Amino acid sequence: MYRLENLRKVFDGDLVAVDDVSMKVDPGEQVAVIGPSGAGKTTLFRLLNLTLCPDGGRLWLGDLDVGRLHGRALRAARRRIGTIYQQHNLVPRLSVVHNVLAGRLGAWSGWRAVWSLFRPQELEAAHAALTQVGIPEKLYARTDELSGGQQQRVAIARVLVQEPEIILADEPVASVDPNLAHAIVRLLVEISRSSGKTLLMNLHSVELALAYFPRVIGFRGGKIEFDRPPVDVTEEMLGRLYAGISRSEAEEAGIPTPHDSPLICYGPLFPRK
Amino acid sequence: MPRVQSSIADAHSVVGRQPRRWFPLAMAAAVVTLVWWSARGAEVDLPLLLRDGPQAMLSYAGKLFPPDLRPEFLLDTAFGALETLAISIMGSLLATLLAFGAVFFASANLMYAGVLFEREAAGRVRRGLRLSLYLGAKSLLNLLRTIPDIVWATVFVFAVGLGPFPGVLALGVHNGGVLGKLFGEVLENVDRRPIEALQATGATRFQILIYGILPQALPQFLAYALYRWEVNIRAAAMLGLVGAGGLGQRIHIAISLFLEHQLLTLLLAIYVIVTAVDYLSAYLRRLII
Repeated sequence: MYRLENLRKVFDGDLVAVDDVSMKVDPGEQVAVIGPSGAGKTTLFRLLNLTLCPDGGRLWLGDLDVGRLHGRALRAARRRIGTIYQQHNLVPRLSVVHNVLAGRLGAWSGWRAVWSLFRPQELEAAHAALTQVGIPEKLYARTDELSGGQQQRVAIARVLVQEPEIILADEPVASVDPNLAHAIVRLLVEISRSSGKTLLMNLHSVELALAYFPRVIGFRGGKIEFDRPPVDVTEEMLGRLYAGISRSEAEEAGIPTPHDSPLICYGPLFPRK
Repeated sequence: MPRVQSSIADAHSVVGRQPRRWFPLAMAAAVVTLVWWSARGAEVDLPLLLRDGPQAMLSYAGKLFPPDLRPEFLLDTAFGALETLAISIMGSLLATLLAFGAVFFASANLMYAGVLFEREAAGRVRRGLRLSLYLGAKSLLNLLRTIPDIVWATVFVFAVGLGPFPGVLALGVHNGGVLGKLFGEVLENVDRRPIEALQATGATRFQILIYGILPQALPQFLAYALYRWEVNIRAAAMLGLVGAGGLGQRIHIAISLFLEHQLLTLLLAIYVIVTAVDYLSAYLRRLII
């Protein structure tokens, strides 16, 4: 599905966020990307969903070289990729139905988009998507009146009506409570399995990545540290991946830190189940 | 690794930050100097005000009483007040339309910069065209705004004659510039995360505008337009002084012909309509936001 050849992104001339990354993702795969914050994971995803332009290397989407696309062809390629964000990135003042149907914009003409604000188009699709994420009764609710978890479900419904071939989820559960985090990750993995859509997910939580994904990529300093099935991910690998991170970040990732060290976590101490 | 480096850098900056005790003193001295200089420049003369001022003001105020409450004059005043109200409404409407028409061109994040243009591959000509459109719209709004409404009113009185219409044009044009600046700030401060999300679905810029930007901006546009309406009702009363209709024109006549009792009635009328519009506008703005 995706093929990256020495993909590179540099900010402000010297901050290398993605450093000559090469990898391949097959159609229908579920891949988790883990790593400390500042590793370049979000930049990688913004390259993959064609928001940013790579500064070097090539990005293939199927047989299409999408790294240099622009205009109509770029929009057509973007339509094939659905993105879910940590902050939901919904329009707070629009009602849920319009936020969900925003996923159809790539398929609609400008006038149909305007008309839909008065008379929602493809209402059945929006309703079906909301049913699938478990909040069909919120169709006409105002988006900013929903809870964080419900808003994330609306964002998932937006991706569902978009009917993309690939779902990219950038830290989709970083701002929801742990129970809900499991539910949302499971939901996305199930959608990917049942529909054959490729799923790539950035995760803060090592536990979620190892529990739900058949393939886990460790990302650090703009490079791939390891790329393997969860059973082959060792404690040493995780220790190296997260070496030198702060205590609070380690706790967030679910890695225990020694009590006497306020700042640095040395050990590969991740508990295996 | 980067985190460790940054914490070392933080430690350095903490050590390097000396307490700057001279800074507040210097600021205070600068403010005092500025106030003194302004007072000199504006020829502020408190003794002069206190010596002759109170006497003169009191005697003029005494001449104003009682207000002229003859029915035919009250009717004329009410007509003037309604005319002022009408000028302020039409002027605000014209200003809103002007600003709305120009602001999208005068907004950098819609014309050439930011997340919408990350993957822009426009040629040099199109880029230049966009930039000059942006600069053109921006300087047009600046020009409209920097020329005071009273000057615009004088110009329009020359152009279309005496009456309320030049007042409408003057308010509309000047406040079009003011609202253009305010609208522009709204547009440059919209949350760009939904914009990025919409773009990633393959939406066009027009679609992003109506789904991602306008829902965020329109309520604030309306709130600013209502706020300018409050300013405009006061301005509409003043513009009459140069012949642009409404209460102001009657005030001008009352002052020139020493009709003090009528003047008081007119001032009371201004008080009533300005207060009424303030309350109405504040109420409507609360409904929107």
